[in-house]
Amino acid sequence: MEKNSLEAQRKRNTAICATVFLIPVFFFLIVYIFYPIIDTFIISTYRWNGISADKTFIGLSNWTALIADKTFWTAFLHNIVIMVCSIVIQIPIGLLLATFLEFIAKKKGISKIFKTIWFLPYLMSSVAIGFLFTYALATNGGIISTVSGWLGGGNIDLLGNQKTALFTVIIIIAWQFIPFYMVYAMAGYSGISADVYEAAVIDGATRGQYFWHIALPLLKPTLVAGAILSLVGSLKYFDLIYVMTGGGPGTSTELMATYMYKLSFSQFNMGYGSAVAAGMFILITAVALVSNKLLNRGGED
Amino acid sequence: MNNEYKPKKTNPIAGAIGIILAVIWLVIAIVPFIFMILNSFKDKFEMLVKGIFQLPETLNWANYQEVLTGNFFHYLLNSLVVLAVSLVILLFISACAAYPLARFKFKLNAAIYSLIVACMSIPMHITLIPVFKMTQSMGLYDSIWSLIGPYVAFAVPISVFILTAFMKGIPVEIEESASIDGCSRYRMFFAMILPLSTPGLSTLAIYNGVTMWNEFSFAYTLTQSSNARTLPLAVWDFQGQYAMNTPMIMAVLTLTVLPMIILYVVLQDKLVKGMTAGAVKG
Amino acid sequence: MKKRQLAALGMAVVMTASLAACGGGGGNSDSGNGDSGSDTPSSSSDSGSGSSGGDVITFWNIGTEDPDATIMQYAVDQYNANDSADSGYTIEATNIQNDKYKEKLVIAMSSGECPDMYTSWSGGPLREYINSGYGQPITDLYEEAGLDDVYLEAAKAQATFDGEVYGVPVLNISISGVFYNKDIFADNNLEVPETISDLEKVCDTLVSKGITPFALGNSTKWQGSMFYQGFATRYAGLDDFRGAYDGTSSFESDCFVYAGNKILDWAEKGYFQEGCNGLSTDDGQDKQAIYQETAAMLYSGSWFTGTFAADSEEFYKAKIGWFPFPECDEVDNGAEYAAICNGTVGDQFVSFSCTDEKLKEAFKCATYYSTDDCIALMVENGKIPPVNNAKELLDDEVAISICEFVESATDVQLWYDQYLPSAVANAHLDNSQLLFSQDITAEEVAEATQKAMQEYLDQQ
Repeated sequence: MEKNSLEAQRKRNTAICATVFLIPVFFFLIVYIFYPIIDTFIISTYRWNGISADKTFIGLSNWTALIADKTFWTAFLHNIVIMVCSIVIQIPIGLLLATFLEFIAKKKGISKIFKTIWFLPYLMSSVAIGFLFTYALATNGGIISTVSGWLGGGNIDLLGNQKTALFTVIIIIAWQFIPFYMVYAMAGYSGISADVYEAAVIDGATRGQYFWHIALPLLKPTLVAGAILSLVGSLKYFDLIYVMTGGGPGTSTELMATYMYKLSFSQFNMGYGSAVAAGMFILITAVALVSNKLLNRGGED
Repeated sequence: MNNEYKPKKTNPIAGAIGIILAVIWLVIAIVPFIFMILNSFKDKFEMLVKGIFQLPETLNWANYQEVLTGNFFHYLLNSLVVLAVSLVILLFISACAAYPLARFKFKLNAAIYSLIVACMSIPMHITLIPVFKMTQSMGLYDSIWSLIGPYVAFAVPISVFILTAFMKGIPVEIEESASIDGCSRYRMFFAMILPLSTPGLSTLAIYNGVTMWNEFSFAYTLTQSSNARTLPLAVWDFQGQYAMNTPMIMAVLTLTVLPMIILYVVLQDKLVKGMTAGAVKG
Repeated sequence: MKKRQLAALGMAVVMTASLAACGGGGGNSDSGNGDSGSDTPSSSSDSGSGSSGGDVITFWNIGTEDPDATIMQYAVDQYNANDSADSGYTIEATNIQNDKYKEKLVIAMSSGECPDMYTSWSGGPLREYINSGYGQPITDLYEEAGLDDVYLEAAKAQATFDGEVYGVPVLNISISGVFYNKDIFADNNLEVPETISDLEKVCDTLVSKGITPFALGNSTKWQGSMFYQGFATRYAGLDDFRGAYDGTSSFESDCFVYAGNKILDWAEKGYFQEGCNGLSTDDGQDKQAIYQETAAMLYSGSWFTGTFAADSEEFYKAKIGWFPFPECDEVDNGAEYAAICNGTVGDQFVSFSCTDEKLKEAFKCATYYSTDDCIALMVENGKIPPVNNAKELLDDEVAISICEFVESATDVQLWYDQYLPSAVANAHLDNSQLLFSQDITAEEVAEATQKAMQEYLDQQ
């Protein structure tokens, strides 16, 4: 009896304590996120140009249209491509860079230079990146085409070609975001106690062995969380695509977010735009939660 | 981390390849940055005729002069205030929320965690109208304070997500020993968990700091007069309807990035310090 | 313990729900925001800083960079200096960069917070604003102020919907035409072409000399759309297009298929800048080819006079000439169709959402754009104002020839992408862009555009 009530008391304390800690965050989430999400779902049941005072309630018509909308699903596919490429490119390279920094950590000066310069891409604004890369990729005097010219090849048109445009932008996005995953992995490394490294070294492990057998397993939770971040970010990606290709050529780089944006803000179709946004929200949440579960389960094995 | 041990068998070829790749990546990372700076010194016509990837004929400081005599410092101040206030609020409340999610066992834990992950999934642009309406009704429209709410709120899900993952990695023994000492959860949070989370918090400060610094959409949705504008909108003064003054924009962007480089260099050390702190207490 | 959690969660739910009710329903009734009693629909046009009361007239425009910033501010300053004291109104101008302008306008309008005065490009979007109650007819005011004597008839026509005028034209005549490098033409013994066949011969010569005939940055899609519109208009006039717009004809008509096939043919022969679909006119990659003299011509809007002059007055004066898109010699009425002008007469139009007294004052402010001083200011800054006596004011050869063409034009057709309903415009742009990389057939473009048009018409 006594033990049970103590247990209950502790559970209650835990719950109160958790509530206190969670209240501030929920204040912000309710006001700025829950409310817009609900608003989006409500608007998705209307035909509305976004500006008029009149909206027409049309039930689930927007949703049935969305399910049959080829453009939306093509855009979703593009997002999936970005997602897979981003996870496969950004996280391993970011980890590699962080690992390199970890190994040269003792040489403070050099490591600081590497750390700072490697981080620069993440600091640049999308406006500058868009401008410089558009010129770098241009057929007329662009870097890629010039190099190809030296090697005897012709001009290479990467951004204007439907087949290559998406992958080209993916590489640029990766260039921009790798530094973040580098810093992220650095934080992960900092969670591994120095004793572990010392112990491994005393045991005569090479750096390769240390990385593969000791650091990598310890970093796994960090990397899994990083993958989820990358996944969510890729599925709602907007910035550089909008700046560099505007979804083109044709619709070859149209993403869910750019499609939603055009519908809502330039095509006066806010009702359907909201359905697209709500659809995105459902899809991304589902993919994220399922992946989170799968990846973490894999971790426990 | 100043241990005396050295790994015994580092393959010299692997080491050399590692260094070569590292230097190549150095070049890849810095070249666009350099060209951003170089183009900021050019004349508009010169930039186009000679090409973007040429050195400027002269170091033409006039662009910087023009930028700095405009509204730049006003925008800079606005940006700094918004960034500082938002980051402090964000990091504190995210750490508060991550703590119970990472360390407590209570019934709704998994559900709340999923809810926060779900919040990461909301496409930002669709929230502009509701947030605009709300800002209007709160009377915050067209002031820099209107930006803090959305900046914090949109950074919260990712921050809680990362910090939860991070705090799960802090060894349980620390808490148990403190608990035996009769330390309350609140004290434990401030005395143990928060300091031990410094690397995670620094990472988040960098990530969210940069995002907020470059944030554009809320900035122009929720402000109107140039008094309330932040740095990302400073480029507007040089963007016309059909053409833009690119060298000038590059000058603005170069100046915009400097405070972030400083922030990063400062926080970098925190990442290392956090590491030693962890090592000592662990 | 459960109760407390439930209570906390319950609170969250209630708060969310009440917020949603407050905001979600807000679209139907503008007073939904509740906390300020004055927030009734009638004052909903009173945008901006809430403390301003009824005495402030808000004015949104896209003049963020000079010279547009100065020109747009001109009327505001004049009004505030000359009329404010009498009327009690002050104009409060806000400039928002072009790319984000439409979005900001949509956001403001969606909450019933439309600015009292705003600029737009007329066409489909302005029609949408008017239909949603954010545009007031100014036909009488326009007439009383004597603006008919100032502005070109075509400029007024562009802001006229269902017989009512909804906008005051400002800034520029922006029609499409071909800018060419006079030196390159002279060096290669090329004449200004009269017909499309002539133009093709010019292009063939240029290609054989290793010069790109047309600079083109088409990643934004609407630059290429000008070619499509140019060919279609020269082939069959405007009947097919306007018919397609109101449902009596179709985008699958011959002229559109002709336009598509011409672009495919020209792309095949290398008349366009290589990789044009990846090049950006916003970043200046088309004009770069003109400045580097690797391309001989640029088919684009006449605002380029100002852009060229701002980049290098010297280059512009020495090298640039202009001619209208030439006549189609494959059809009987080619000469008649060649006199049609594509583009906009009046780059921007000031429209009004306020009513009564406020509307009169806001309109008065806009009339300062039609004063001699303001028009002189525009001319000084490389603009070609859409006014009757523009030709006399200009001293720049290129601008004068543009002006002459507009004066002799039999009709003006606004850009397809501005004129069409946005969803159709989007289909037109997405598909016609692919012609330049030869990834689509002319028939497929026609079919896709017509499909979008039909869907739009069915919804009406």
